[in-house]
Amino acid sequence: MSASPFDGILSLLIRQRGVLGCLVVGEADGIIVDSNVQVGIQANVVAALAAALYRKARLTSAAAGLSTIGFLQLEAEKGHICAIGRDGLVLVTLAEPRAHIGRIRGAMLESLSVLA
Amino acid sequence: MRTHVAEPWIEAPLQTFVDDAGALFALLLHPNGQVMGQFGFTRAVDVMAACALAAAIHASAGELGRELDGKPFREMYHAGKNRQIFIGDVPTTRHRFVFLTVFDAESSLGLVRIYFQELCALLENAQPPALPQTPISAASLEQDLNRNLAILFGRAPRDSNGSESSISLA
Repeated sequence: MSASPFDGILSLLIRQRGVLGCLVVGEADGIIVDSNVQVGIQANVVAALAAALYRKARLTSAAAGLSTIGFLQLEAEKGHICAIGRDGLVLVTLAEPRAHIGRIRGAMLESLSVLA
Repeated sequence: MRTHVAEPWIEAPLQTFVDDAGALFALLLHPNGQVMGQFGFTRAVDVMAACALAAAIHASAGELGRELDGKPFREMYHAGKNRQIFIGDVPTTRHRFVFLTVFDAESSLGLVRIYFQELCALLENAQPPALPQTPISAASLEQDLNRNLAILFGRAPRDSNGSESSISLA
């Protein structure tokens, strides 16, 4: 079985401290393309909702004349959801509150070229 | 817009699905084509046609799945240019239904699949005890089909003496 083209970026992200999971998701359908998540995370649910959230945010940004989204971060009581997208794919990362968001953001932005 | 149902226990789960998934149309039916609940349709004839087609598609897909995989396909999805359709099997412990929903780009297949699973769980919890099954004849099947259509569209069944019944579908 050949490796997924997203193995590299998912491995890079999951090794970051405090990262609970990362997923490559289709923006239009919310279906997982590839993922690496810890046991207990409902990956399908997270993928569908995060893709919908990213899509709405992208449309909102465009409607407000703010052009494309660079990086989307949702800060919750027990962690973070980060997302970036390109060419119909969204890279989603789930992280604990203790995670270093700056590093995760950098890794995600570096990975953006792989999504194309 | 609210859902319309033939039996009250279906209303809350179906309305929850429609609200959460952002569906344009939703249809819950028996595998024989008898409608149990609907959202989005305005004409009885459309519900009748959609139920007949959904039941036929579901039956065909089931047999195709058995041929190919030894078990029926439980979910089907088709993406159109602007709208998408999802048909799924709803197996509860006492009833068996087919569910059809139509959605557009405001929703997504991922969301619909999540809320479809939730719908199955809600129906499982809400279902009443099963009633004894009576044998189905052609006449009783048509009566059942028309009775539920009449309930959904606010029309009382035209007769109650067992003669051939029908409602105006115009």
